[in-house]
Amino acid sequence: MSGYRFDRLKILVVDDNAHMRKLVVTILQAFGAIQIFEAESGERALGLMRDTNPDVIILDWMMEGMTGLEFVKQVRASAQSPNPFVPIIMLTGHTHIDHVRQARDCGVNEFLAKPVSVKAIMTRLVAVIEHPRPFVRTKAYFGPCRRRRATDEYRGPERRASSPATTVE
Amino acid sequence: MPKEHPIEIFMPPNMLKAKVGGSVAGLDLGAIKRAEAAMDALKTDFAQWIADDVERLGKARDGFAATRSAETREALFRAAHDLKGQGATFEFPLIARMAASLSKLVDALQEPAALPLNLVDAHVDAIRIVFRDKIHDTSNRMAIVLAEELEARVVETLEIAARAA
Repeated sequence: MSGYRFDRLKILVVDDNAHMRKLVVTILQAFGAIQIFEAESGERALGLMRDTNPDVIILDWMMEGMTGLEFVKQVRASAQSPNPFVPIIMLTGHTHIDHVRQARDCGVNEFLAKPVSVKAIMTRLVAVIEHPRPFVRTKAYFGPCRRRRATDEYRGPERRASSPATTVE
Repeated sequence: MPKEHPIEIFMPPNMLKAKVGGSVAGLDLGAIKRAEAAMDALKTDFAQWIADDVERLGKARDGFAATRSAETREALFRAAHDLKGQGATFEFPLIARMAASLSKLVDALQEPAALPLNLVDAHVDAIRIVFRDKIHDTSNRMAIVLAEELEARVVETLEIAARAA
């Protein structure tokens, strides 16, 4: 089997730490990616998004200036956003469940807690390739569906108001 | 009149899958092996990278000690938080643990004046010792005792701060 054609993907890596960028870029190159763009800030990343139209973004949370979360909000909700649908993988030292929720509520697709491992990066890439989430638009939110499981996984009785009522004995 | 739906759910076309193909279900083990080899080759740089981060933490501490402000507190938090995330990646898991304790302390005490400098210093000094002695082993007794003591002091400090609030 030939595996994924990562060489066809354009990946934007956003991190203000040059060492972490180098590590992530090295791993992506070993996966076969060749179109990798680097940004050391959210502001620079927005410019690179316009210039390169990346397919996936790997993003640090804690950066000077625009934080990772502020960047996600710009990408998902701004009228000037180059691509509000682009999959975003958040790479962060935050590990508390509240941080995962916060990232998800901003429109992050996948959450990747440091320390970095090859397998974890591959797993998150496969997740955005194989299991894209539906998008949701409400008054307060635009981004990937925040429910982890796809709606078609539900196997219980239909309980929507428009469906016939079900009685459970 | 039809009910107005405030929630719109839709599935954008999966362009990613169309680009990369789908011949492998699950993880690409060959790519993982190549990437692990590439990461191993980078490991010679890890010591210098962590040295840079420890130095940055020291400078952030000095800046905070010289001027207690929201900016210097934030710089201290960022330096500690980066080490928390990168320490384990760069093969210094005990530095990551101590930096996690420091970032918890700094994150919890938003008021710069409330942040005890002696406890900040204890963390920075401990991190420097672990780096100086190249302690990569998570079972190093001395370093574990140090980390546990720092964590206990942070818990104690935050409890006192919570009672005073």
